[in-house]
Amino acid sequence: MKKEYRPMALGFWGVALPFVLFGLLFGRTAAQRITIMLLAAVFFLVGTLIYRAKQ
Amino acid sequence: MKLAAVDWLFIVWYFVLSIGIGLYYSKRAGKSISEYFLSGRSLPWWLLGTSMVATTFSSDTPLAVTGIVVKDGVSGNWFWWNFMLGSALTVLFFAHLWRRAEVVTEVEFIDIRYSGRPARFLRGFKALYLGVPVSCITFGWVTLAMVKIIQTIFGTSGVAALAICLGLTVFYTTLSGLWGVVATDMLLFGVAMAGSIVLSVVSVEKAGGIGALVDAVKAAGAGTGKDYLSVFPPLGQALPLAFVVALFVQWWAVYYPGAEPGGGGWIAQRMLAGKDARHAVKGTLWFAVAHYVIRPWPWILTALAALVLFPGLTGAAPGEMEAAYPRMIAFLPKGVAGLVVASLFAAFMSTIESIVNLSGSFLLNDLYRPFIKKNASERHYVAASRVLVLIVSLLGAGFSYVLGSVKMGWQLVMELSAGIGLVLLLRWYWWRVNAWSEIAALSASAGTAVYLKVVPDNALVRGLGGALGRAGFQIDAWGVGILVIVAVTTAAWLTVTFLTKPDDEEKLLAFYRKVRPGGFWGPVAKLNGGAYKLQAAPFAGWGLAVLMILFFLFGLGKVIFKEWGAGAAYLAVGGLAAFLLSKIIAKIDWEGRR
Repeated sequence: MKKEYRPMALGFWGVALPFVLFGLLFGRTAAQRITIMLLAAVFFLVGTLIYRAKQ
Repeated sequence: MKLAAVDWLFIVWYFVLSIGIGLYYSKRAGKSISEYFLSGRSLPWWLLGTSMVATTFSSDTPLAVTGIVVKDGVSGNWFWWNFMLGSALTVLFFAHLWRRAEVVTEVEFIDIRYSGRPARFLRGFKALYLGVPVSCITFGWVTLAMVKIIQTIFGTSGVAALAICLGLTVFYTTLSGLWGVVATDMLLFGVAMAGSIVLSVVSVEKAGGIGALVDAVKAAGAGTGKDYLSVFPPLGQALPLAFVVALFVQWWAVYYPGAEPGGGGWIAQRMLAGKDARHAVKGTLWFAVAHYVIRPWPWILTALAALVLFPGLTGAAPGEMEAAYPRMIAFLPKGVAGLVVASLFAAFMSTIESIVNLSGSFLLNDLYRPFIKKNASERHYVAASRVLVLIVSLLGAGFSYVLGSVKMGWQLVMELSAGIGLVLLLRWYWWRVNAWSEIAALSASAGTAVYLKVVPDNALVRGLGGALGRAGFQIDAWGVGILVIVAVTTAAWLTVTFLTKPDDEEKLLAFYRKVRPGGFWGPVAKLNGGAYKLQAAPFAGWGLAVLMILFFLFGLGKVIFKEWGAGAAYLAVGGLAAFLLSKIIAKIDWEGRR
């Protein structure tokens, strides 16, 4: 991983984690839970892509 | 509205992450001006493109779109969708030229393209004009919009939170330079989009689901005589002049932050910061797709839901229509509201940090360094940049107090430079454009705009308006005003161009060899011993880029409204255009060495 990108990847993972918790704990309907979990998955994926980005 | 403790926990956590990322880059930013304002020209396409769209996604944008949809329906968005034609033009015809120019700012372009005292005057003037009044107006309207959002959500008690947010943003931006700005932009754009998507899902649920929402919006439209869901304005009777002007004039004529003809402002800054010309092109294309295709639908859905949930909204004042967006936050469950509030802060921060870094670059690189303190050390210039960024931030914050409304800020910027687009486009492709051309265009555009403000009912407006009315157009003041400004400005700068001398041959030749543009460079190409040809591929690429954006945008809308067949067809056409465009982009020699 390129060193410059490391904080960005951590930032995306750092946002994904509360999304998972909040989606599970506070989503009132299935649609809300699915939306938030999908967004969490996107944040994890983008964070991972940034983590693996080449120089 | 009162947020729960868990909402505040998310907001604070999000601030810690954003500011931490920003501060991480402060050491690197201190090395040189190139690092501070251009990230050492090392940005990959995905980072520079995301930063462009994050900056353009401001806290006032969802509100403005909500106001547009409530007033005119989905088709009202052509007011800004028209700029996709200009964005596609920037991708195919200008992004690579900016990167090849290797200047630090868009204003420095003047120094490598024009010669003599007019060029020096123009550089200093534009540095001051873009660095102070334009930046302060933009800063002011973004901050003012955020104040209104915060007051709608929390009442006056939220303004203190905003002041803290603003202070922290300016703090890390001052230290971290463009690397910190683009790195935080990645996260800020993600959070801003996530918030708008969650809000749209909850809003549609509240309105009874997509089917019920569509039925209710159609019923509301039957009451007001409008088709709120159509993506085109009614074209059956008189053609709306505003739509025609948007489609055929506005995108190449009007200099608007984020949609400058040929690229400018923070768009140019990021193209200049790209690893190479190809990264600049691909990044600008990603910006165009994210800006026009990915962002709008969550806002549109929230606006349509607001139309249904607040029945009196269609007859409300413009400010009240726009405030419907933050009002929807009240429907969010505990824990989720914090995410949406954080998303509004994210949109606000991503714009503010870019504005102050950009204005600092103009004032340092194009005013302080060439005119006030030449040949100082890089450390001195970085320190001066940080002071200038801080000064602009304070001025901008002060300006938000005196700015009457968000719309007033938009109009001021758009009207003052409504006719200068053509000269900004042609200066790359026509050797005869000189510094006087730009000075004439700026003066004529601002002068005509001020005249139209002071004397709105004049012979020119009456004559043009009457003629267009007789030709079958549905007249509006905005459309007529833009046409008058563009006509006067174009006539003025063309006349001045032919009445003044061309730039020095030496200067033109150096520019021609460095940037390698095609187009109308006859005498300079002769001096060069050969011409760089304007290829056919970018023209085809431009058409494909516009098709791709349009079909993806409308296809996504069809899918959201469960018109599966039409949605699939639109997306397939968009996909085909994207495939052909990728082939063209891969084929073009963006460095211009062949």
